[in-house]
Amino acid sequence: MPRPKLRGRAGAPAYCSLLLLLLLAAVPSEAADTVAVDVGAVYASNEGTSIDPALGTIRGKLRSMFNYTSYRMLDRKRRSLSVGETGEFELPGRRTMRATPLPAQGDKVRLSIQISDGPRNLLTTTLGLRRGGMVLVGGPPHEAGVLILLISAE
Amino acid sequence: MDCGTALGKIIAKSDGLLPREEEAGLAGHLAGCPACAAEDAAISATGPALRALTGIRAMEKAPALDAMWTRVRAGIEEGRETRRRSSRIARWAWIPAAVALAVAAVLFYPAGTDRSPFHPNSFDVAVEDVESDVATVALVDKGEDLPKVIWIIEDAKT
Repeated sequence: MPRPKLRGRAGAPAYCSLLLLLLLAAVPSEAADTVAVDVGAVYASNEGTSIDPALGTIRGKLRSMFNYTSYRMLDRKRRSLSVGETGEFELPGRRTMRATPLPAQGDKVRLSIQISDGPRNLLTTTLGLRRGGMVLVGGPPHEAGVLILLISAE
Repeated sequence: MDCGTALGKIIAKSDGLLPREEEAGLAGHLAGCPACAAEDAAISATGPALRALTGIRAMEKAPALDAMWTRVRAGIEEGRETRRRSSRIARWAWIPAAVALAVAAVLFYPAGTDRSPFHPNSFDVAVEDVESDVATVALVDKGEDLPKVIWIIEDAKT
């Protein structure tokens, strides 16, 4: 019967694709010697009272730490970087952030961070945090409020 | 039976269409009519002559027919092989596409912006050094339950 035969042939690629996707899903997304740097740019202001759901569990933290009434995620970028490799993140307001993972031990991550506004160096810092940890960098003025960067590393 | 009727029956007989019960009547007429008997003999001889001629023509044409059939068979086989080959290509063509898709997913997934909301598992951060050329920088630490904040104060704006 030709019909079932064709169906079998058409099914093989589908099964193989599924297997490939499962294999890809099973492979760890980040190797041990790489660091996934995740940077979210949040616009905090007193314009309105909305808090972006994309901020997840950090929403309550922001409300308890700052006096702003509105938090909106403007952009979010993620780069997988090897130790010593510098990744550049474009930020709102023509600012840029450069992150470089440094050698670290265990589940610790060390990051060299540099934030600049054109030729001006706004911040240079070295952070040590756990994989999955987060630190905030805020203060640069943006429109009627400020910019708060959520920097996490995995 | 007149000669006209007999001639029709002679033709029918040569074609094998004369009913058996009319054969005796026709035979009786032919026995008494030499002209119709001669016509019957001539017509009866035509069939074998035509068959012989057809056989001769078939023998003459046999090599040409064989050659034509060989070409037709080769054409059919070639068509089947082409279909088989294209079917084989179509059967495996998805593999490069799937590999390209997987590579693209691996390459571009980390750069995506539409991801799950933030769920940090730790706010334990050590600030080894901090400095700025153009702003005042403050380190805000409100305990382990809250994230540490590095606050940049540009020209006392914020």
